[in-house]
Amino acid sequence: MAYTLFAAIDVGSYELEMKIYQIEQKNRIRTIDTIRHVIEIGKDTYTTGKVSNKNIDELCRILKGFTDIIKEYRIKSYSAYATSAIREARNWEIILDRIRVSTGLEVKILSNSEQRFLGYKALSVSEEEFEKNIKDTTAIVDVGDGSIQISLFDKNVLVTTQNIKLGSLRIRELLYDVSDDRNRYCKLIEELVNNDIQTFKRIYLKDKTIKNIIAIGDYIGYIARIQKIMTRKKFLEQFETIKQKSIEYTSQKMSITEEQASLLLPSMLVYKKLIEETETENIWIPGVDACDGIVAEFGIMTGKLAFRHDLQEDIIYAARATAKKYRANKVHTELVESNAVKIFDAIKKYHGLGKRERLLLQISAILHDCGKYISMSSPAECAYNIIMSTEIIGLSHEEREVVANVVKYNTMEMPENGREKNSMLIVKLTAILRVANAMDRSHKQKIKEWKVNVKDNKLEFTIIGSENIILEQILFGKKTELFEEIFGLCPVLKQKVVH
Amino acid sequence: MAESVNFEDSRYFINRELSWLDFNDRILGEARDKKNKLFERLKFLSITASNLDEFYMVRVASLKDMIHAGYTKKDISGMKPEEQLKAINEKVHQFVDKQYSTYNRSLIPALLNSDIVSILTFSELNKEQKEYAERYFDEEVYPVLTPMAVDSSRPFPLIRNKTLNIAALTKKKNSKKEEVEFVTVQVPSVLSRIVPLPSEDEKKCVILLEEIIKKFIDKLFLNYDVICSYAYRIMRNADFEIEEEESADLLNEIKKQLKKRQWGEIIRLETDDKIDKELLKILKKELHIKEEDIYKINGPLDLTFLMKLYGMNGFEEYKDKKYIPQPVAGLDEDMDIFANISQGDILLHHPYVSFNPVVEFIRQASRDENVLAIKQTLYRVSGNSPIIASLAEAAENGKQVTVLVELKARFDEENNIIWAQKLEKAGCHVIYGLLGLKTHSKITLVVRREEDGIKRYVHLGTGNYNDATAKLYTDMGMFTCSNAIGEDATAVFNMISGYSEPAGWNRLSVAPYWLRDKFMYLIKREIRFAKEGKKAFITAKMNSLCDKKIIAALYEASAAGVKINLIIRGICCLVPGVKGVSENITVRSIVGTFLEHSRIFMFHNDGNVEIYMGSADWMPRNLDKRVEILFPVTDERLKSEVSHILEIQLADNVKAQVMDSNGKYSRVDRRGRKKICAQEYFCTEAVERTRQKSKESKERVWIPMEDIR
Repeated sequence: MAYTLFAAIDVGSYELEMKIYQIEQKNRIRTIDTIRHVIEIGKDTYTTGKVSNKNIDELCRILKGFTDIIKEYRIKSYSAYATSAIREARNWEIILDRIRVSTGLEVKILSNSEQRFLGYKALSVSEEEFEKNIKDTTAIVDVGDGSIQISLFDKNVLVTTQNIKLGSLRIRELLYDVSDDRNRYCKLIEELVNNDIQTFKRIYLKDKTIKNIIAIGDYIGYIARIQKIMTRKKFLEQFETIKQKSIEYTSQKMSITEEQASLLLPSMLVYKKLIEETETENIWIPGVDACDGIVAEFGIMTGKLAFRHDLQEDIIYAARATAKKYRANKVHTELVESNAVKIFDAIKKYHGLGKRERLLLQISAILHDCGKYISMSSPAECAYNIIMSTEIIGLSHEEREVVANVVKYNTMEMPENGREKNSMLIVKLTAILRVANAMDRSHKQKIKEWKVNVKDNKLEFTIIGSENIILEQILFGKKTELFEEIFGLCPVLKQKVVH
Repeated sequence: MAESVNFEDSRYFINRELSWLDFNDRILGEARDKKNKLFERLKFLSITASNLDEFYMVRVASLKDMIHAGYTKKDISGMKPEEQLKAINEKVHQFVDKQYSTYNRSLIPALLNSDIVSILTFSELNKEQKEYAERYFDEEVYPVLTPMAVDSSRPFPLIRNKTLNIAALTKKKNSKKEEVEFVTVQVPSVLSRIVPLPSEDEKKCVILLEEIIKKFIDKLFLNYDVICSYAYRIMRNADFEIEEEESADLLNEIKKQLKKRQWGEIIRLETDDKIDKELLKILKKELHIKEEDIYKINGPLDLTFLMKLYGMNGFEEYKDKKYIPQPVAGLDEDMDIFANISQGDILLHHPYVSFNPVVEFIRQASRDENVLAIKQTLYRVSGNSPIIASLAEAAENGKQVTVLVELKARFDEENNIIWAQKLEKAGCHVIYGLLGLKTHSKITLVVRREEDGIKRYVHLGTGNYNDATAKLYTDMGMFTCSNAIGEDATAVFNMISGYSEPAGWNRLSVAPYWLRDKFMYLIKREIRFAKEGKKAFITAKMNSLCDKKIIAALYEASAAGVKINLIIRGICCLVPGVKGVSENITVRSIVGTFLEHSRIFMFHNDGNVEIYMGSADWMPRNLDKRVEILFPVTDERLKSEVSHILEIQLADNVKAQVMDSNGKYSRVDRRGRKKICAQEYFCTEAVERTRQKSKESKERVWIPMEDIR
């Protein structure tokens, strides 16, 4: 049959959702079934720090129902992701285990940046509109339950992405006591949000201004039912209507539960504030949700879907933006980056790693030089810390840790038996990065053009050019020990002088 | 001035109970109509009796409950519960008199004069028959009788709801004392109430079982003389409230309540009009019954035995010729049902066309290897239902089968529990109704995996998935594989399974949340067009109309100039033809051989006619307390067929009765116009279509190409 069925499960803070998709040819995705269940696990987590037993039971019961539906459609592939409510719960391991035991489902916890990245993936499904909308300076603003993510696109390129720990559910819980007094409630939320938006403006919007906002997120999607594209004026009017009306009215009018309606207001207020603080002219509410992102991810991963907008490029751009922020030596960094991937590609047979690892190596190379911004004497640790505290959109927490370690061990001694998770991967990538870096030891880009081939147990680099590479040659040996140990290949530099 | 009229004023409304009694009276009219065949008339009389029983058990019972609870709120016609009860009592007494005068003066003489069967009383028997009756009593009846005496040591026994009993006064033999004793004995329900007697000629003779028992009752009390004996029957309050909040298991709760139903308050006593005063006094006291709730009857109690008589073999010339539902014209039986549906929506008009395609739909789905799931709502099904068998088979074939079984379907609970458990055993996912809501919608969804994707086939109907009643009730059904409806159907079952409601609906309107708004919107839209001076009309057919808001909206529409034609079989609380309120409204009721049951709604919509069909009447319970589905008919071919059906019903001048502005019904004045009986018309039409189709297929011949040059 010329189509694939896929189930995407989103364990959200406030709602469990499963969508069944039919992925057809020509990038066509049809939603076959949507199953939702309201459950406030986020309320537990954000107020008590953990999900209550009662809610875990219900979670398992509903997910069990989901697996029955998966069976009903005889679906072979599914992805189930959980977000902040479980991620931030102290008992997350117990929750996942209970789910696994009682339903057989493997639920994966998404890091914030992965979660946000899903939003972009979802957007790329409606890619024509997406491309049209990000031509000017555009911010994709994702107001979730637990936090707000603002990503800035300029001329089709991701410039920066920032996370603010303030989401609609969190806001509602924080200000629950005053929520009856609508005006005061809105004022307080504005105050709360304003501070963060000002900071964001100061740092990232120095010379730019936002023209468009793409609003994605948990609650704003309901507005999409009214209108998907709105002008600034229209949006602000819409906000006022919702602010004036009672929760009951809004819930009836939009056929959503009162619960959902009560979360819509704080969510809209964040957008409103951002619109007011920038020169936003248009707001696009595509109405996509996490499940749409999950299916896009699955489609891309399995090659069933291909989009023109390169999401991997977005990750790289985000990394470059970080490197730039920490004043990394641009030319050197670029050379190391290209060296690294070139070596990676040349020894595929020896490392056995895939595309995703190649991306991690590339990002490590891009970020390898950013520690010096903080300290010249301990750049490795500084780089590690920078990477660990920077959101790199599209990378999971685990992957970010790999990158941070690779960068750290690029210049620091590798501990004998690495205890980190993924230690083998870290060692392999570090070995390659060290060699790639050693080729531009002088930071003078003397080695630009080279060829590489494997001869006996040697990895021979043939340098084309007449530059004096004695420094590189002398120091090369020291940086290649790890490489030789891991891959059984000894890298050697040979110069082929061209006159 | 339309603005000044209060359309919700109670004087524009008829009480629903009284309106229902009028409906039963229209059925009685069929029993009295000499144009109907004799056995058909017996059947109609039997129906009025069983209808009245149900009416008492449910409606009267609930009014009594209201009075006990001190509830004094007025209904839409401005009557308090007490006033309603009083009016009902008066009307029912008159009605029962009419029932028995029909029986005694018209039907019994007609039977006597006929050459087929006589229902005799004991005194009418000849010697041989009397001997036969006595032997029958000794051998068959006596062993199963359980007489119960009442005295200081033996309390009054439990008399079961709706059973026939005989009360007697006895006196000890040779006793000087005047003291009499009360005894009661139930007419055994294990024996047929109609006892055939030997007869000399072709003509059959029958006697009712209680006649025989009364005659020989002294055989039960050897040391006593039986002074007198009379039959009696009681009706109990059977409308139970299930405390759902507290009951974890609905199934158990209903089982429990069914037992309790036997103990409900007694709300009616029927007995012989010649009953001994002393005996009646005892019954009255022991049964705690008021004078006005006693019905003294001149004739056999419980006329539902007439249905048994109707069901007896023979007498064919005194019954209407049995109509055989025809095959569906648009259905090619050489192809599977899915291929058929894929060619376009299919309309079913039962019982004129067969219900078999629906049974076949589920049967084929249960065996089709590409079918992934079957989901269905079941309200009332027949005993030994082929649908249940197919669903069970589907589950055994590894398909996901979800069935919502409505346990709260009135008086069918016991039946429902049995087969629901059967389904569960077969591996079906059975949902026993929804908390606080009765699921009345009739929808089936079949999910099938096909070459180019998941495809959904849906059947929607106005009647239950009951192959037996589908031969007697007029209902509409539709098969479709429209994507929009398929998505909605999936959402309906997701909701029924306990998941959240969908973000929106494509085509279906679902009660309790969305349906009322939809109807109001449709009516208001006609009002708008009428006010703009455009043509505006509504034609609606349903079983009952008693929703205040809808009626008020219809009044408003009428006042604005919308032409409204209503075809309402049963209760109608709306009054047509009232100046300034409902001049543009007509109401007619069709009571015929088949029970009118379909619900069809047609709105002119400024020329873009919209037609809907569904499971809901315009009653508050349908719109607010039930899961109901209204679906649009969008295919032009089907739309013209449905509007043709409405047209014929509106043209009926044989079985239709029209309501006037006083709320009285009367037959249509034909005034030389051609006779049209809608039900007959549809029968003939369906037969004709089948004939046409088979003629076409016979006419198909090979054409030899002889001349090749």
